[in-house]
Amino acid sequence: MGELANIFIKSAFIENLALAYFLGMCSYLAVSKTVKTAFGLGLAVIFVLGITMPINWIINNVLLSETGIFGLDLTFLRLILFIAVIASMVQLVEMVVEKTSPALYNSLGIFLPLITVNCAILGGSLFMVSKEYNFSESIAFGLGGGFGWFLAIIAIAAIREKIQYSAVPPPLRGLGMAFILTGLMGMAFMSLMGIDPGAF
Amino acid sequence: MTAIVAILLAFLYNGLKPIHDLNEANYNKRAILGAVAGQLSTPLGDMSDEQVSDVFTNNIKQKVVDLDGQMVDASAVEALGYKGGQAENIDMKKEKKKADADKVLPVFEFTSDDGKQFYIVQVRGNGLWDEIWGNIALEKDLNTIAGVSFDHQAETPGLGAEIKDNPAFQSQFIGKKLYDSNGDYKSVFVRKGGAKDPVHEVDGISGATITADGVTEMMDRGMKYYEKFFNSIKG
Amino acid sequence: MAETTAVAKKESTFAFGKKERKLLTDPLNDNNPITVQVLGICSALAVTTLMNKALVMSIAVVFVLAFSNLITSLLRTQIPKQVRMIVQLVIIATLVTVVELVLKALDYQTYKDLSVFIGLIITNCIIMGRLEAFAMANSPWKSFLDGIGNGLGYGIILIIIATIREVFGKGTFFNYPLIGNNSDFLINLGSWYLPNNLMVLFPSAMFVIGVLIWIHRAWNKDLIDVS
Repeated sequence: MGELANIFIKSAFIENLALAYFLGMCSYLAVSKTVKTAFGLGLAVIFVLGITMPINWIINNVLLSETGIFGLDLTFLRLILFIAVIASMVQLVEMVVEKTSPALYNSLGIFLPLITVNCAILGGSLFMVSKEYNFSESIAFGLGGGFGWFLAIIAIAAIREKIQYSAVPPPLRGLGMAFILTGLMGMAFMSLMGIDPGAF
Repeated sequence: MTAIVAILLAFLYNGLKPIHDLNEANYNKRAILGAVAGQLSTPLGDMSDEQVSDVFTNNIKQKVVDLDGQMVDASAVEALGYKGGQAENIDMKKEKKKADADKVLPVFEFTSDDGKQFYIVQVRGNGLWDEIWGNIALEKDLNTIAGVSFDHQAETPGLGAEIKDNPAFQSQFIGKKLYDSNGDYKSVFVRKGGAKDPVHEVDGISGATITADGVTEMMDRGMKYYEKFFNSIKG
Repeated sequence: MAETTAVAKKESTFAFGKKERKLLTDPLNDNNPITVQVLGICSALAVTTLMNKALVMSIAVVFVLAFSNLITSLLRTQIPKQVRMIVQLVIIATLVTVVELVLKALDYQTYKDLSVFIGLIITNCIIMGRLEAFAMANSPWKSFLDGIGNGLGYGIILIIIATIREVFGKGTFFNYPLIGNNSDFLINLGSWYLPNNLMVLFPSAMFVIGVLIWIHRAWNKDLIDVS
């Protein structure tokens, strides 16, 4: 259990998908103009990462690996299957949420299609493969990574809401400033790098 | 459509697989020889892949030992999933995760063209982002380091990655000793702010404290694994 | 924008007139994928610590983008609307797998350096974005040119960022020692110079792109964000 908490904290803060690996930047920059939309997208990312990570773990270790059920090294199909799982999972989640909770759908729904091409999701799955996590570790990694991404987008959205009232040079307004702010946030998160997550 | 794509990719994959395997094997061989780079008659960077393979077959004797220093024979190593039971095919990443009693360790006995003998052993640990590993060459006394080559999964270029990229960092290890004058195990420390003990310490890399601490820990633990093997040779 | 006016009409020739040239040059400046359309940022940040990584990545993206545009455009009348995302993703994923396998055979060191970022070309939004916005509505030849244009526009920015980061961060260029504080380097600036380690860390990529956007917009005033 301690090991799992360790992975959660590490992936949420120290190896933050958005601020340390810069994954999912397109939607991070596009949907962070207000806190409300950022909140919706952030939740959707946690959700999808938490679901696709264990599924892709099963695909990678049961279907594709040499020790899996086919007994063949099918790793060259990894990318195609991963992205297919992500795309179909997003679709499935969208349908389920629409049926069961209209309120949640209204806040999450429009962001779900965006998530298929959010590289934090595919990136998470690929990191899980390269770090050779086991099944439960992959769930902790998915949830932790999602939570870290959620935190990052909320934080940048809050700053961007405030900075609208500041006198930024016109060519730097909007996008340019968002980049520089993210850079500063990245530096702030770097100070967490030396922490030993085992201490928690 | 997916089926067609899958078949096409399967052809490409299987067509290129021998090249992939060869690349991987050569990459690994170069890393191992990197530890004795100073003893090679041609600089490692100028050697072709064939020459690297030749040195490997002609000048190197591969052995596999366990933590008690006992030889593990090739068939037992092959049963663990390492091709041909060869030391060069041992995956230290897997071995690092195993319990101590189950670990097997590779040893490469290298004889240079002028007849000097070296032992190259492998260590593996954790850096800042992911794992780091190294090949350590020892002189015949199994105490003095003759050379090292480090590598890493994902350390920061210019900082932690300097353990691999900076030849000055690696060459500091040459001549350092694992045991002190009383024969007690000391290992080699990477000291932030400059080495104080000329025999057991090397200078750190500025801005890469965690990677450097990782190297210290990896050396201390990794070389200790081989202690019984060293003792069995020293007699 | 130029490409939205283009209509999907039958064109049997591989004409290379003014319009086609615009397809190639537009993404280099007015419609640059990174600094204007804000697509494909993730990889722009992650692979720009060293020149050879940035160069290999640019070539890979040009290849994938050009051919996925071409294939999508060829199939555009046959793809049912509901499943077009999946079909597009399969096309991209296949091409990316080809790139990954070939790179692993040709340049193992760079393959190792790029690690997961080759696979992440799939979710590089430039590719999906161009397939949706252009290839689904234009002829194969035009789509192919658009793919090359956008790939180059992306590559140019990548190479600018990587040059700045590698030269100032490590003092090297394509791993060749250029400026530094000892005689290993081509230009020896002596004891007052230290390579700025911050440049190879992630935040600096953000600063460099932010400043690039600033310069780009100060020079090309049409692009200033009025909101």
